[in-house]
Amino acid sequence: MKRAVAAILAILIFIVLGLAFAKIPFGNVNLEDYHYYNPIQDKQTSDSVPAHYLKEGKNETGSTNIVTAVVVDYRGFDTLGEVTVLFLASTGVGSVMYIFEKEKRRKVRRANAVVETASKLLFGFIILFGAYIFVHGHLTPGGGFPGGAVIASSFLLLYLAYPKFHAEHKSLNVAESLAGLTFVGVGLIGLLVASYFLYNFLPFGLPTYLFSAGVIPIIYVAVGVKVGSELTGIVDAMMGVRE
Amino acid sequence: MNWIDLSLSILGYIFIGIGSFFLLLASIGLLRMPDVYNRMQTATKATTLGALSVLFGVGLLNLHWMPKSMVIALFILLTAPVGASALARASYKSGIALWKGSVVDKYKEEKEEE
Amino acid sequence: MDLFMVVSLILIIAMLIAALVAAESRDLISAAIAMGVVSLIASILFYMLQAPDVAITEASIGAGLSLAIMIFAIKHTVRWEK
Repeated sequence: MKRAVAAILAILIFIVLGLAFAKIPFGNVNLEDYHYYNPIQDKQTSDSVPAHYLKEGKNETGSTNIVTAVVVDYRGFDTLGEVTVLFLASTGVGSVMYIFEKEKRRKVRRANAVVETASKLLFGFIILFGAYIFVHGHLTPGGGFPGGAVIASSFLLLYLAYPKFHAEHKSLNVAESLAGLTFVGVGLIGLLVASYFLYNFLPFGLPTYLFSAGVIPIIYVAVGVKVGSELTGIVDAMMGVRE
Repeated sequence: MNWIDLSLSILGYIFIGIGSFFLLLASIGLLRMPDVYNRMQTATKATTLGALSVLFGVGLLNLHWMPKSMVIALFILLTAPVGASALARASYKSGIALWKGSVVDKYKEEKEEE
Repeated sequence: MDLFMVVSLILIIAMLIAALVAAESRDLISAAIAMGVVSLIASILFYMLQAPDVAITEASIGAGLSLAIMIFAIKHTVRWEK
């Protein structure tokens, strides 16, 4: 009875939400109807914010991937916050699982020989792919978060194949702290050079080249290393064997 | 379009057709096979062959895509058997019985020899 | 009704079924795998809606890492819901 009531309530809420969102125009807005004050150009324009990003993003940030331009340049401070949230989550999982792990040790059972050999072969390729995703974040789809997740999944493969494997906590901590310091340090240099945090102070270079878009590749490499080491820390806390 | 391009694209479509035929066979086998291990066999062997054939055909359609599709094919060749062996071993260890008509069980024989 | 609409409708229906399985299943491991299927179809839909960045992130985190972490958590606790 309770389940049926809950299901009917959920369906009603979905219908109301659908009706509420039905009137919001996605995509085909008539942009000329709106007028905004644009602080960068210091005048009234008919540009909405997404239209401004699409039109001027490449010139203002040097990045050909507009999503990266928004994530790292226009909304760089939000990205710092997201990385901090991930760091806190990793720390929480580590502290909880450490207490849990002390009481009960996992039974160690060797994996298949096929899996061991193949994971040895594939590990380097997966790391390379993750590094490719975040190094080319300003040119092609991808960036620090998916790249870091791919790197963490390569470590997950090693944990699954070798039950006794565990990552060096000291080097994970060093990589993570260095990446965070790089992010904040680049932002502070921007604060010194111009008057705002995360100012893009390096020359933009030619678009579509690897060394372009100023500080965006540096920040994205830092985000990738940071996310990768944090997620690896979570995986390690969940299934690492301590001896 | 000269005759090399034409013949290459015809060959490419033939390979894509063969690949999709094997993928279809794999999905029929997934429905028809009696137990986990036989299903695993169709889901990896026939699917690997079908995917490789489709990738080769796509590479023939446009020769610029050939290196990329060959790299993808290499990774499918590397990963599909490993995943299948891990899955089969895990399901054997968790106690899923073989089909009644199975004649050989090498894993059990090896265990008994030890 | 063009091809895009048909394919996305099929994907959305499959996603709904997987979500129902995840909610209703008593076996927590199959519930976690159904969650992984939901993430995978969501990433395909993101790719079809021309958001490849989100698609990569969803595929690697939603269908890969979080599924593995959930299964470890289930292994540490109980598998069958009472």
